[in-house]
Amino acid sequence: MSDAQRTIDRLYAERPRSRFLALSAWLATAVVLASWLGGGFLREPAWNSHRAANLQRFLGEIVPYPLQGRDWNWAEAAAWFGDLWRDHLGQATAATLAISVAAILLAGVLAVLLAPWAARNFARPDPFLPEPRPVGRGRRGLWTAVVVVTRAVLILLRSLPGYVWAFLLLGLFGPTAWPLVLALALHNAGVLGKLTADMVENLEGPTLSSLRGLGAHRTQIAVAGMAPLSLNRFLLYLFCRWETCVRQATVLGMLSLVSLGFWIQDARARNHYDEMVLAMACGALLVVVGDLVSAVAREVVRRS
Amino acid sequence: MMAPERSRPMSAKAIVLLLLVAAGVWSAVALDLDPRRLWPGREGWLLAAGFFGHAFRPALTHEGVDIPAGATPLLLGALAAAVRTVAFAAAAMLPSLVVGLLLGFGGSTAWWAADRDRGQAGRVSAGVRFRATFGPGVSTVCRLAAALLRSVHELLWAVLFLAAFGITPLAAVIAIALPYAGTLAKVFAELIDEAPRPAAGALREAGAGPVAVFLFGLLPRAMPDMTAYAIYRFECALRAAAVLGFFGFPTLGYHIAASFENLYYGEVWTYLYVLVALVVAVEWWSVQVRRRLVA
Repeated sequence: MSDAQRTIDRLYAERPRSRFLALSAWLATAVVLASWLGGGFLREPAWNSHRAANLQRFLGEIVPYPLQGRDWNWAEAAAWFGDLWRDHLGQATAATLAISVAAILLAGVLAVLLAPWAARNFARPDPFLPEPRPVGRGRRGLWTAVVVVTRAVLILLRSLPGYVWAFLLLGLFGPTAWPLVLALALHNAGVLGKLTADMVENLEGPTLSSLRGLGAHRTQIAVAGMAPLSLNRFLLYLFCRWETCVRQATVLGMLSLVSLGFWIQDARARNHYDEMVLAMACGALLVVVGDLVSAVAREVVRRS
Repeated sequence: MMAPERSRPMSAKAIVLLLLVAAGVWSAVALDLDPRRLWPGREGWLLAAGFFGHAFRPALTHEGVDIPAGATPLLLGALAAAVRTVAFAAAAMLPSLVVGLLLGFGGSTAWWAADRDRGQAGRVSAGVRFRATFGPGVSTVCRLAAALLRSVHELLWAVLFLAAFGITPLAAVIAIALPYAGTLAKVFAELIDEAPRPAAGALREAGAGPVAVFLFGLLPRAMPDMTAYAIYRFECALRAAAVLGFFGFPTLGYHIAASFENLYYGEVWTYLYVLVALVVAVEWWSVQVRRRLVA
């Protein structure tokens, strides 16, 4: 055996190994396999003559109505689109955008209000600078409770999808834009709040501890120290989450009035698949434009 | 003494913040968001109190008066719905990971950028020339395909498939898998491109082919972040699978909708807590895996 081979063998034997990771990989594989084999997804044939006929009918029906069964004509297709846009699609696209914007800003405000109380280096008797004398057990316990409760609220907020929040809130508020905006805002406040709290916990100490050493109280540390230090990252997170808000804003409309989703649901109920696909395309276009705007905004923030 | 000049140009970040505020005002006006409407009427308060009051006492057995004798106990039913939710999400992860990895690698610049620089040096092999010529085009196509896939939300894919093929569990799985493949591809491409490249460069100099360079030079560096993101996507897939229940699939959302419409708020909270438990378990797992991968 050559020296090189011996070294390779030794390195191989000394490679970092974790039983937990190996077990995780096996478990993940097992769950995926069991889902495919036992989940009943392959019980029905994925393709047969019935489905083929269904698909053919569907493809015929997504052609704009005035052009169905005729040769394609750009002028008429444009007129068909223009009528629908003026009638409701334009307004619905704007409303979808507005829902996403209102929701992410509300989520941002909620996250900023909640996050400090979930950050273990801020929510404690002696934030960022140990007190010279020991802190009482009671005070320390109280602050730990604040962190635990805030983190639990954030988990509850983000574990429930926006769609479920919207469904529940619609029952309580009735059909206005509020339930949709609130639903997206609550879910995203949970996500942003957690990300922001983790970010605050990773903030570098000297600036903040010197602020406290100079006698700044909690609010002053938060406003003069934590906010400027974390604004950039926070904005990056905000724009990232806004991209998902734009996607969800379309979908939530399927539960009530206002956004594009309402017209998707409406067209589906009337079997007007041409209008359904057009409304979906408007949503997709909004998503693509939103992603572009977000990418530009994040680049601007990153450079500043 | 003269005051220091204050005519600094506004920073780009200040403009972004101002635009955000303006967008917020526009959205509130466009949607007619009246804060007073947030204050529900008497009826709304009763409903809200009834619903949120049950958060502290979720149901352990079926609510309602006439429960059929052979009915599955509530908790057992919730567990079965949770298992089906996991099955939908896990099944969707397989195709989305495969497609996401292919599109993600294709969309990265890592497999052709070095060849393009070398291509100008004169005599090179056919493979290098091929990658230098077609690399940029292929990766643009991959990125576009990923963007298209993820521009349509999973629920809308489900609605499309429902209309085109009829309702099947497989259609639901594919509906989740398509946009997730697009999202995974985008993030994987970014992570592969951000991974340190010296190891890959050394392998390439030693004559390794593009597949070997990717597998042994690039992938190991990007792997921890890619794994963490894939687990996060699984967590999202769980939520998506639960929501598909609202469209008639037998996941948690189906039971949430049914119980809510029957005004069995205790049952709703039971199902909500089961969903929360699933998400929290996956999040805990993700933290554990990440800690071990990064260390």
